[in-house]
Amino acid sequence: MIDWYFSHIVLIQSTLTTLLLALSVQVPLRAGVFSFAGVGCYGIGGYIAAIGMVHYGLSTATAILLAAVAGGVVAYALGLLIQRLTGLYLAMATVAFTLIISVLVVNGGDLTGGAAGLFGALGMLDTGHLLAVAAVVVAALTFTELGPLGRRVEAVREDPELASAMGINVARYRRATFAVSGVLGGLAGSMTVLLRSTVTPDDINFHLVVLALTIIIVGGSRSWIGALVGTVIFVWMPEMLAFVGEWEDVVYGVLVAAAAVYLPGGVTGAVVDGYRTYRRKRRETADSPPDAPPPQPAAAAVGGDS
Amino acid sequence: MVSGTVEDVGEARDAAATECVLRAADVAVHFGGVKAVDGVSIELTAGRIFGVLGPNGSGKSTLLAALTRLVPLTRGSLEFEGRRYDTVRPHTIAARGVARTFQTVRILPGRTVFDNVALGAESAGSAGKAERSRARQRVRTAIERTGLAGKERHRPDELSYGYQRRVEIARAIASEPTLLLLDEPTAGMNRQERDDITGLLGDLRGEGLTQLLIEHDVQMMVEACDHLFAMNFGELIAGGEPEAVVRHPAVQEAYLGTQGRAHA
Repeated sequence: MIDWYFSHIVLIQSTLTTLLLALSVQVPLRAGVFSFAGVGCYGIGGYIAAIGMVHYGLSTATAILLAAVAGGVVAYALGLLIQRLTGLYLAMATVAFTLIISVLVVNGGDLTGGAAGLFGALGMLDTGHLLAVAAVVVAALTFTELGPLGRRVEAVREDPELASAMGINVARYRRATFAVSGVLGGLAGSMTVLLRSTVTPDDINFHLVVLALTIIIVGGSRSWIGALVGTVIFVWMPEMLAFVGEWEDVVYGVLVAAAAVYLPGGVTGAVVDGYRTYRRKRRETADSPPDAPPPQPAAAAVGGDS
Repeated sequence: MVSGTVEDVGEARDAAATECVLRAADVAVHFGGVKAVDGVSIELTAGRIFGVLGPNGSGKSTLLAALTRLVPLTRGSLEFEGRRYDTVRPHTIAARGVARTFQTVRILPGRTVFDNVALGAESAGSAGKAERSRARQRVRTAIERTGLAGKERHRPDELSYGYQRRVEIARAIASEPTLLLLDEPTAGMNRQERDDITGLLGDLRGEGLTQLLIEHDVQMMVEACDHLFAMNFGELIAGGEPEAVVRHPAVQEAYLGTQGRAHA
């Protein structure tokens, strides 16, 4: 077991940081906000942590905290700026934001190390620290998925107009998801960089957007569990697919396409749906005969107003 | 405010005699060149059931959307309990005590009946254990009153259309509103279900809840409402005692001329 842990330590740590990155995209998506600002904040967090340690000699904890706060503030400001956008337009604007960050760090001179990036930012981090951060994040997100807050977030996603009519300040919820995604992105970026000790502009690229999105599509977008399942699949799949050699990318592509087509709610969604169907069938056998009058779609169609 | 005659519709009235819950003055909603609502003035006094009657496309639902701030006003003013609200955002007026249902059923598909009703009970802010327990009590009461007892754990797709409508009504009354706006609450219901809902609305009136109903069913409107407004082409064409309104020549021509004779 200990041998296994040490031979896979990079994958284990990568799983935890990638989970935070995936959550930075999933949290806004759960409130119906199609934003990749978290990925841009991953870059901001990575560079702030590296600059803090290399140029200013900050401690690991301070560098990570600063990165998280900076990510949150920048994403919130971005949210204010583009809050009127929705859907694909919002997604495009946030992808552009991420790409702008990568251009800025290339042109950052000595501060960011230009195209070569920054070296020697090795933080005092181990798997335990990552696990603790991930646990706190997951616990906080669980709170936002359950109970009254979970219901309100779902209403904001499913039907913003209905949510407004229920007294929910939809714009405020949306702005909040920007801030949370920025904090998560900042945490993920700073911890990744401080584990590797280096950061280059290539680390903040469009592939991160694709990675975060595929993790959520395959794992499931409704709960942090989906993000975890997707993260485990995509971080560990290259290792598991090593035996197919050069066909790895093809197998990867086929699996993602199959998941998108056959598992619309992701792996987690399929499991939850299966469990609900099972419970419903059990309830139906328990309390037949049916007590509801038959639906009347014909009558319902009468009378549509302006 | 109600004089019983239909000719005085649209005139400014002195509402000092009875408490005015909502006042809409000269409300207009234009979409480009389309005048969906044009110069509508209504006053809703406390503890009564008001109804808006009108053919398809007459602007009833747009009027409701305007009253709940879901569409911006082109012109006019809105007042709720003496305070202007024609510039506030929709969640603010909902939080002040205006609840509504929608013309098409709008409930969260992945949530149980209980959760959907709870959305109405909790949104006003439910911090603290005592408040949460009060909210749960409001949910249970609303579920019982709308005849949904026993279906708390069902999901919307397991319910008939009539029951889905009940969930909407339960969610609205669980917020314990001052004013309840109902957009075709009994569409898709059979006679028995419709009578149940009419009875419930009557009970709620007895408890002092002011209501504004939009319906196509003329007979139900006459039975349920204390005061009717009739709309056509975005304008009020009549208002007053229900029986008088449905007999009004303009209403007969606009609405009953095609559909209403069978009912009236």
